Parts: sequence; structure tokens; C-alpha cells
Amino acid sequence: MKPDSARLLDVFAVHLMTKVAPALPQAYQQGDVSVLGIMLLAVKEETERAASRRIEENAALRRLFETATPRVQDARLRERLAEAASSADPGLTISELECANIALRDLLIDLHAHVEELDSPEARRLDQDIWHELAQSTERRRLSMGAF
Amino acid sequence: MDTLEARLCDYIAGKLRHGSGVRVENLDRIFGGASRETYRFVLHWKEDEADHSRRLILRRDPPSSLIETERAIEFAAYRAFHGSAVPVPEALWLEEDPQYLEHPFFVMEELSGFEASPQAITQPPYSDHAAKLAQQKWRILGEIAKADPSKLGLEGVMKSVAPGECWQRELARWEGVLDEDELCPQPVIRAAIRWLRRNPPPPAQKISVVHADYRTGNFLYDAEGTIHGILDWEMAHLGDPLEDLAWSINPVWRWARDERCGGLAPREDAIRIWEQSCGLRADPDALRWWEVFSSVKGQGIWVSGAQEFSEGTNQDVILGLSSWIMGNAQDRAALLALGRLPS
Repeated sequence: MKPDSARLLDVFAVHLMTKVAPALPQAYQQGDVSVLGIMLLAVKEETERAASRRIEENAALRRLFETATPRVQDARLRERLAEAASSADPGLTISELECANIALRDLLIDLHAHVEELDSPEARRLDQDIWHELAQSTERRRLSMGAF
Repeated sequence: MDTLEARLCDYIAGKLRHGSGVRVENLDRIFGGASRETYRFVLHWKEDEADHSRRLILRRDPPSSLIETERAIEFAAYRAFHGSAVPVPEALWLEEDPQYLEHPFFVMEELSGFEASPQAITQPPYSDHAAKLAQQKWRILGEIAKADPSKLGLEGVMKSVAPGECWQRELARWEGVLDEDELCPQPVIRAAIRWLRRNPPPPAQKISVVHADYRTGNFLYDAEGTIHGILDWEMAHLGDPLEDLAWSINPVWRWARDERCGGLAPREDAIRIWEQSCGLRADPDALRWWEVFSSVKGQGIWVSGAQEFSEGTNQDVILGLSSWIMGNAQDRAALLALGRLPS
């Protein structure tokens, strides 16, 4: 049995902020070390969800692309969407999931710009779905310590 | 010894024509400056057979910063507003030759004994004076908007812009920063940029000095709720005064973690105080455009800092923190301004 990473980061953060920082002679050093402590708390929150939020988001984007593919008029974009919709995450490490996420979000930008140029009820619904996903993406990334 | 203290002392000794026995003491770096290294120090000298001392600030360019800014413009802005209804410290010497302190710098008066922290303002005793601080904060911003750049002598220093071109210039600038520096796709901000281009604002009511980082955290205040100095003019430029108003009410500065702008006042109060102070109108549609824009600009700043940090050109911990904490909050602020954030 050993303390898990969340517990370690918690303890280290508190240690830096309440013991190390106040013992430093200069205000600049104190601020620097306090920010390191805050950063550890942010890393702790992000580490816990790092894989799950990417897996969830990548799946949501693939579903969105699957829905969008038949509605898109540009042949090249339709092909890219179909390919992305049937793709899978290459592995479960954060870097592998992030790499897939970057490619999918790049494609989302192109899809959104395209849909904005279309004028049909279907396109408007797709536009709404994209905005919904964008809002969801900020919920997945939200850190509890942020002011907003 | 060739310390920063000694080199600064040599420089100032060359500037004080009637002074002698110049000493620089207690040079101490202030935490938090992401675009300049900021130090406080005490200058001692003899003049007319009397001893003098003054608390001063050194603002020195770092090797790389959160945003590439023009120190000469910042210096000129301090000089222009000193002694006006906009409280600022007195700017003393600007030096762009790196031979003295390795990087360009300027020296200004320290307004000492005051608080600047955006977190402290939400706590007693300062929070007891939130309404008073809000009244001053947006009144002073109105004074900046009202000021005539030509009378301030800033027209030759800051690039001129026509009222109908303010939005295009600023949007192009920050879109360029995102194009150059983003480390990962920004679908929210890219959608915001497209919206901004499809829905241009009306021409600016007047060309004003835009502070460009006017927010809680960039002014000095005391425990009685008085604002003593407006700081951090490094992004100042000429433009639409609504740019500053929109930036000041951006949700990412909700330090009290409630609806109050800058942790101080509701949005409508901030706008009303500003309008009364400057005599301009914050047209809702125009202000909305600048609010969406302010999140594009904010994301440009966070992305730029993240890029510097990742590339190792500036690994100030504040850059690491701001890219983590502020980036997603800025996306959310953009969604809110666009009416796309579910309540």
C-alpha cells in the first residue's frame, strides 16, 4: 500500500504553500513556490480525469462526424468526416489520446466553418449540435480553482 | 560587483545631474509580472547638501514574455496620464539600449503601501468597500476613454487608427497571435473569430487611449477602498473605448466567483458608471462584439504564454499556471458572450 498520486500531490501542494513558501526570504520566491503548489492542485484534478475526458470527447466528436457526414456538401470534407467517424483511439496513454483529440478538434473547426455557410434546417440543427459539443468540451476541461 | 543593483546604481548616477552619492538598496523582484520583470528598490542620493531617498520601480524586459509589448508606449502612457484624473505613478527614465541592464527597461515611482492582488480585493477589509472601488474603477476607465490622445501627446507615439478600422486592426492582431502560437486547435475561439467577422461593430464613437489590460489586478488600492494607481499599460494603444470596457467586465476576472465583474460590481453597474464618467454610450450590440473579441484576445495571451513556456523561451511559473487556469475559462467566456453557454 502506498499513497496514490492524488494524495501525494495534495500533500506536496500544501507543503509548498504553507511550509516552504513562508520560509523563503523574498516575496518573489514565495510567490513562485506558492504558484507551484497551486499548479500541483491543478495537475491533481487534471490527472484524475485526463484519460476519461479525452476518451469521452473523442467518442462524442466521432458521433458528431457520423451524423454530419451525409449532410456535408463538400466531397473532400465528407470523406475526412467519414474517415474520422470510423477511426479509433490509437491507445490509452494521454499522449496517444491527445494526438487523436487534436486531429478530431482540427476537423471540428473545418466542419463548423462549413456548416455555418449552409442554409437549411438540417444545417442549423448540426450547428446547434456543434455548439453543444463546444460547451461540453469546456465543462470537461473546467478546473475547480478557476474564477469562471 | 557587477550585480543588477550596482549596474542600476551606475545608470541612475549618470542620470542625476545634480545628485551625488547615489545608492540603490533593497532591490527586490515583485512576483507576478508576466510581460516585464518588475523590481522595487530604494534610491538614495545627496543633493544641495541634503540626503534624499525615493522608492522606485524598475520594469525590465524579460528575454521573452507573455505578450510582445512596446515599453516605449507603456512609458509614454504613464507620462501622459501623470497628474491627470487617471492616477498613475510618475515615469522617470526610459532606456532602450541593452548595454546597461542587458535588456531595455524603465524606472518609475513606486506607489507603496497599497494592495494590487485580485484575490485580496474579495476579502475583508477590502471587500467591505467593493461598491466604492467599483465606482472608482469604472469612473477612471471613463476618464481614460474621455481623454483626448492628441492633448496627451500620444498620437505620435501610438499608431493612429480610423474609427471604422479599430475592430479590424485588433482582430487581425490577435488572430495572428493565435495562428502563430497555438499549440492545439481552438474550436471555440475560431468560431468566435468567424462570428466577429460576420457581425462587425459600428465605428468607434471616438478614438481613445485604450489601456488594453484594465482589470482588477492591475490597479493599486487601499483598505479604505481608494484606488491610487492604474498600472500595466504595456498593451496600450489607440482604439475603440468599448474595447477597454468589454475587457474590464470579462467573466474570467470574476475573482469573487460570483456574477460581479472584477469581483466588484454587477455588469450593468459597471457599464452605467463608465457611461456617466465618459459621456459615451455602450451600445449593447457594439459592446457584445467587443466582449466576444475580448475572449479572442484573452485566449491569444494565454496561448502565447503557453507557447513560450513549452518552447522554454520563458518558463516563469505564472505562464504555466495561466495557460492551465485561464485558457478554458476564456473559452467559456467566449461561449457566454455568444449566448452559447447553457445556464
